[in-house]
Amino acid sequence: MREGLKKVVRYAASFFLIVTLNFALPRLMPGDPVKNLIGEDVYVSEGVMEELRAGMGLDRPLYEQFTAYIGDLLRLDLGYSYHLHSPVADILRDRIGWTLLFVGVSVLLGTALGTLLGAYAGWKPETKANRLACCGFITLSCTPPYFLALLCLEIFAFKLGLFPFKGFYDVPTPGSIAHHMFLPVTVMALFSASRNFLIMRGSVIQEKGQLYALYARAKGLYDTSILFRHVIKNASLPIITLLALDFGFLFSGALFTEIVFSLNGMGTLIYDAIIGKDYPVLQGSFLVIALAVLLANMLADLLYEVADPRVRRPA
Amino acid sequence: MKHEIKQPIRQGLKRELRQGLKKVEGGSKHGLALTVLILMLVSNMLPAGAEGAGAAGESLQMSKSELSDTIILYMKILYLGEEGELPEAEFLTGAAAAYLEQAAESDGSVLKIATPNVIKSASFIGDSNLGVFAHLSNPPLMKMDADGHLVGQLAESYEVSENNTQWTFYLKDDLYWSDGKKVTPKDIEFSIRYYGEKTPWARWINDTLESSAVSDADNSVTFKFNKPYTRINLEFATYDILPAHVWESIENPMEYLNEGPYVGCGPYYLKQIDLNAGKLVFEKNPYWKGKAPAFGSVEVHFYSNVDVATLALENGDADTYYKYAGSYPYPNIEQLEKTGDFDFLEKTNIGLVFLAPNLKKAPLSDLEFREALSYAVNYEEIVRLETLGYGDVPNHGFVPPSMEAFKETEKLEYSPEKARKILENAGYSDSNGNGILEGKDGKDIELEILIRPDYARTGELLKEYLEQVGIAANLRTVDADTWITMKDSYAYDLTVTRSTPWGMLMHASWGSGYFDSRRTGQGVMHNVEDPKFLQLCDEALATTDPAELEACAHELQDYYAEELPAIPLYWNNVVTPFNREFEGWYADPLYGIYNLDNFLNVHGI
Repeated sequence: MREGLKKVVRYAASFFLIVTLNFALPRLMPGDPVKNLIGEDVYVSEGVMEELRAGMGLDRPLYEQFTAYIGDLLRLDLGYSYHLHSPVADILRDRIGWTLLFVGVSVLLGTALGTLLGAYAGWKPETKANRLACCGFITLSCTPPYFLALLCLEIFAFKLGLFPFKGFYDVPTPGSIAHHMFLPVTVMALFSASRNFLIMRGSVIQEKGQLYALYARAKGLYDTSILFRHVIKNASLPIITLLALDFGFLFSGALFTEIVFSLNGMGTLIYDAIIGKDYPVLQGSFLVIALAVLLANMLADLLYEVADPRVRRPA
Repeated sequence: MKHEIKQPIRQGLKRELRQGLKKVEGGSKHGLALTVLILMLVSNMLPAGAEGAGAAGESLQMSKSELSDTIILYMKILYLGEEGELPEAEFLTGAAAAYLEQAAESDGSVLKIATPNVIKSASFIGDSNLGVFAHLSNPPLMKMDADGHLVGQLAESYEVSENNTQWTFYLKDDLYWSDGKKVTPKDIEFSIRYYGEKTPWARWINDTLESSAVSDADNSVTFKFNKPYTRINLEFATYDILPAHVWESIENPMEYLNEGPYVGCGPYYLKQIDLNAGKLVFEKNPYWKGKAPAFGSVEVHFYSNVDVATLALENGDADTYYKYAGSYPYPNIEQLEKTGDFDFLEKTNIGLVFLAPNLKKAPLSDLEFREALSYAVNYEEIVRLETLGYGDVPNHGFVPPSMEAFKETEKLEYSPEKARKILENAGYSDSNGNGILEGKDGKDIELEILIRPDYARTGELLKEYLEQVGIAANLRTVDADTWITMKDSYAYDLTVTRSTPWGMLMHASWGSGYFDSRRTGQGVMHNVEDPKFLQLCDEALATTDPAELEACAHELQDYYAEELPAIPLYWNNVVTPFNREFEGWYADPLYGIYNLDNFLNVHGI
């Protein structure tokens, strides 16, 4: 119970720190949101600039802006985007839905694929197929996702004409969405799988030398049983950590992949907000990401306890 | 002063109509049957059908209103016995058939434009890129022709009072919104006032517009300003005209998000904004009375990545490419040429890349030093590397030749010897022999060149050029926001920046808006306080007389050439690829190929 309370306090403190950083970091960036909003070649008087600044609440002292921000948060109001002319909550709702579809599916597929193949490759690392897979995944993990995305686009969309170049769909039907999502999801899933593969492979190689694996073999268990009933459970702890970390990635999207495939996801939203000094969008996006990571870490803590009895055993 | 708007297309049509007329020889049942048949055909056209095409050189194509005029004339002469020339029966049937044929052809055809100008919000008023694309559905009052002259678009003509405070625009009388209502002067008045009240960048309208009046009698709208305003015809080439009956109920247009359709009065209306599909869809305005566009719809596809946009073009997914103030990427032109499917339109950009000195600080405040600097730069090399040959070495006069009232001044020359000589004569010498010239304060000259990441390579080249003539230079590469902050506080010696087409046209024009110290703005240098220059700007701002404006433009270019408040680095060409299957493209200096005339003139070969 005391441990649980400690955790709650720890998470609450982390949350407050995150909220404070969310407010401070965008304002530490150089640049003026008002000038950015007006544009390069437009002349407006100082009076209009001040009026705009006041409308955005940026004329107030920082502590007042901060208290207003906290007050809005408590009312679940994430503010209003300077550039997208819409409440931040609405923007995030729309973008998160698409990002979950695109990055979420990729992360799940990548985790499943990478974990299973990595486990098998770690179990029998000497086979030719596993060596080849290992080389392939190392190459993939070293390839920048941006380059991988462009390469896939060049081959499958341009040369072979199998897939479209951009967007979530042509017409909003499941078939069109699946057709448009195939390439970006494949690229992201491969990238995610490569990381999971390498971690899982290393982890299984380490675990299979442990005494419990030898004991299982001595009991007469088959290879597959030893791997999938005993070793994989212990070897998956780093994967759980990685999955928790990937939650942040999930909500921040995959900027470069989104740019290549012209996808309206969280990545481009955050990037545009940084370029445009759209403080409310940055605050809202970072908050969602932070919450997702906190939640994922809490889940990871729980999963550790399920996967590894040593974690729940008192020291 | 009254400015009549030339209408070569309409004149061409009238000429063609005359060619198809002949003296009446008498009525007949055949004539009656023909008239009824044509009327039935035309009246049964789908509303979205073509409105006619009266292009010069296509003798049988005419707009719906012209075809109806001809039929009415035919009936009047034939049945009411009015005097006049009777159109030939073959001509009429041919024209009606051509009209129907084109309507059938165009309804299914789509013109696809690829662009890296991504629409980020479905805010018709709030998204700047959307504002440009909406010129097709909600054309501004004025436009710029291929030569850079301002001519009417929705306006038939306009006049301005002697003291330049009162502007009257006479509207064309055949303009209709896509919901069937007529475009009235009230719509124009409403739109201009609406922008002035609701958008920050047009607040100047609100601040300076004293009164406005509409006259249904002569279909005009008059704006009276509280001070002389000489660039209204240019300003009004950028504001999309809105239907008052739709927008007057929208209190906050910036926050009004709607994915369409939007009521428009151009040849097309904006049917859909689909951010997730990355496209805008324009459909034919069923009530458009002008020349019929050759395409049933126009789609603008936006790509976040330029390379992918070029791949889409090579793949045939788009018919042309558009980027405001920009060209198709030069490195990709050759690849696109190889497909054999595209031709290219090439026009000198009126925006340019230039080197801006800090005139408040020595040694750049010294004209001789700036003159030496202008000889130190290897323009040929910069043009070759930055534009891959799609550009030119600029003149001292800064302004590119594609701009109206361009004056030929001396071409900039690369001569390190001359640069060294000028510096030596001006008293900059290397007395301690360390290879770096000393300034008039006796210290080594070490210039800080402020660079944005876009111009990193140009910066490196400049550093080399300066070092060749004995000037040390440090490159300081910063992000755009830091650049603006440092530029505004004059914390630099030299900086590389660019002007956009609109930037070249703003203020007293010919780029003066970038240098006038009385102006502010993210992209402007506001580095010239010289009373002579400021007076030149004021003179240009005080007149609407074309001859006086031209004289001011020439004086401004002379000033740039003599005083070097900026050193142009290169003039680049805007290269626009277009599908070979279509012809009739042209580009204007302000919006390139994205002008209404292109969408009316371009047709299949």
